Amino acid sequence: MKRRYAIGFLTIATLAIFWFLATGPLALISPGRFPSPPDVWASLKQVSTKGYANGLLYQHVLHSLKLVALGFVVAIGTGVPLGLLMGWSRRAEAIINPVFSIIRPIPPLAWIPLAILWLGLGDAAKVMVIWFAAFVPSVINSFTGVRRIEPYVIEAARMLGTPRWRFVREVLIPAAAPLIFTGMRLSLQASWTTLVAAELVGALYGLGRILNVAQQDIYPGMIFVGMACVAILGWATTRLLAEVETRSLPWIQMARA
Amino acid sequence: MAVITFEGVRKSFGHNGGGFLALEKIDLTIADKEFVAIVGPSGCGKTTCMRMVAGFEFPTAGTVNVDGHRVTGPGPNRAVVFQQFALFPWKTVSENIALGLRNKGVEKLEREKRVHQAVELMGLEGYEGAFPHQLSGGMQQRVAIARAYVLEPDVLLMDEPFGALDAQTRTTMQEELVRIARRNPRTVLFITHAVEEAVYLADRVVIMTRRPGRIKEVIDIRSVRTAEKWDKYERIEDVMDLESFVHWRTHIWRSLREEKSGQDR
Amino acid sequence: MATAQTTALTRFQTLFLGTIGILLFLGIWSGLSLSGLVPKQFLPTPFEILSKFVQLLSTPFAGGTLQEHLLSSVLRFAYGFFLGAAIGIPLGLMMGWYRLLDEIVSPIFDALRFIAPIAWVPFAALWFGTGIGGPILIIFAGAFPPCLINAYRGARFVNRSLIEAAQMLGTSNTRIITEVLLPASTASIVAGLRVSAGLGWQSLIGAELIVASTGVGFMMVQAQLNISTSIVMSAMLAIGLVGLCIDIILRWVEAAVRRRGLA
Repeated sequence: MKRRYAIGFLTIATLAIFWFLATGPLALISPGRFPSPPDVWASLKQVSTKGYANGLLYQHVLHSLKLVALGFVVAIGTGVPLGLLMGWSRRAEAIINPVFSIIRPIPPLAWIPLAILWLGLGDAAKVMVIWFAAFVPSVINSFTGVRRIEPYVIEAARMLGTPRWRFVREVLIPAAAPLIFTGMRLSLQASWTTLVAAELVGALYGLGRILNVAQQDIYPGMIFVGMACVAILGWATTRLLAEVETRSLPWIQMARA
Repeated sequence: MAVITFEGVRKSFGHNGGGFLALEKIDLTIADKEFVAIVGPSGCGKTTCMRMVAGFEFPTAGTVNVDGHRVTGPGPNRAVVFQQFALFPWKTVSENIALGLRNKGVEKLEREKRVHQAVELMGLEGYEGAFPHQLSGGMQQRVAIARAYVLEPDVLLMDEPFGALDAQTRTTMQEELVRIARRNPRTVLFITHAVEEAVYLADRVVIMTRRPGRIKEVIDIRSVRTAEKWDKYERIEDVMDLESFVHWRTHIWRSLREEKSGQDR
Repeated sequence: MATAQTTALTRFQTLFLGTIGILLFLGIWSGLSLSGLVPKQFLPTPFEILSKFVQLLSTPFAGGTLQEHLLSSVLRFAYGFFLGAAIGIPLGLMMGWYRLLDEIVSPIFDALRFIAPIAWVPFAALWFGTGIGGPILIIFAGAFPPCLINAYRGARFVNRSLIEAAQMLGTSNTRIITEVLLPASTASIVAGLRVSAGLGWQSLIGAELIVASTGVGFMMVQAQLNISTSIVMSAMLAIGLVGLCIDIILRWVEAAVRRRGLA
């Protein structure tokens, strides 16, 4: 493991040095195509202190975070129960599945123009698109989670005379939980992708807005900052979710140990 | 009191041509506090017999009664021990054992007392807070048995409970089951394909034919056991050495082999 | 109730309930639209969308008919997707085999992985323009990671004894990759291709919404600017259908692979 980290560090360091040299002293890459480290630093300073594209960096970040969180929560709140219901009841599945199959092949990003038509360029349209994007993975995975429960676990619960709601809370949901979390992870990724796309298409604030304006201004340093922020936020929220997963499913950690 | 009766039970699976007949003409009465083992070739429907008592399956024809009442669904008066243990991985040992009592509405203090007793009975002290995956297969099956016993069920249904265990653990568990069953007798229906296990544990052994399963022979082991005083031996190998044991084991083996060879042909 | 969940339904019941579901969906939709609760301009009836769809096949909109836009989208998709597979799969396999390569590439890959493919749009436009090069880079950004990850996993988790058997027979490294790792990880790779195609197709649509002058995505943006909901929805229908076709083809490949025992 040590060797792995060492090599990883060396690689990143080499790349960083190469980046510095190629954009600076060696002039291999034109600054109009890719920013040099000082360019990036200058852009970062500009957006954090003076602001860019209608706002300071933290305002853009908070705005994007807020929309992702809102869309994600709404999607999970509707998708997971629906998936559980479809997994549990064959009737519900039979009714909902055909409609779901019609809507499912439409990629989430294809909803953006419709959302703008319906709700304009504001936040509501973004939340709607994120909801649609994040909804599908959480439905599918919760559904699969229920379908994959071993039949004898359910029989054991029935044999013990478990009442319906206790069964849902203490057997169905925990048994499906690992896959519910898988679905949530996919939903989170989808939320970010969709948000960035929606903000690129049209927005007043947000990271996508930074990217959009920077693209129009042909401002590589700012594009870099925008992309880095998207990556860091994506990474951080994924880590957060993984942490929540570890804490809510202690028995799985025990099984791995 | 818990008497199990099978009357003219027939069971087929599937429909519209794709189905098959699993069980035919099953007539059997299991007396209160009797330990009956069913052996038979794989696929003969012995597990289905147990599942019909548990209320997971229902006969296509005939009736399965417990205490004169037709079985209409699963319930805690008929506790099941599954081959795959079927513990809830997200519940600790004591939470697993306690669930059935909570469902019955047993209040907290009483519940804790009974869980503790069950833990002691199965030698699980010190593991109350562990999750099932942290335990060995043998320990997991102890938890499953404790979970069944704590309900003080009229009927205990065991579906190849030791089938997934290694040979040594299996032996220990068999000895313990004998200890518990003699001290705390219940009506037990025990499904197995291991002949020695059946002879060692049961009062009566039911031999089934290959599919469609029918009752081929019912052997009374209890009278032999009392006559030969099997219970004074603590270890399974001592019992297995006895001539009476060997006699019945061989008898059942031969009977089963006839079914097996018939199946291969 | 022998199975895990509630009892299975007969084929008739499934069909019946499914029809009810679809009818309910279409009924509510048409009801909202016809009753005027939602202005018709923003929610045309399903029938209007179908007729618009058919009309778009012969009447050009935003510089082309529906199938012309679709064709240019599918071509871009094909380039990006094949590029992603052609680089991702061999690289993934080699990373599964050569430890040093794995240790060098993994940190870079992990750092880039969290950038949503669509966030490459500004650089893509800057570097390759908005014609065909830019969108291809974005499709590539969507399609490449699953190809690499699945080839890598497939190669990493190949049964050790297969490799040892090959080594015992004196097989060269290159040959182990092509004749042991590749076939053994085919199932995983094909599964990765399905994910890739889905992400690639959706990234393409996103890219076309932002930077393109042809393609269904471009068509949708134009329709949106013209406030023509029925064209937007027709385009969504077309996008869904093409996506479905791509997935069906890959599912068919997956089944074929499984039949040949490579799973």
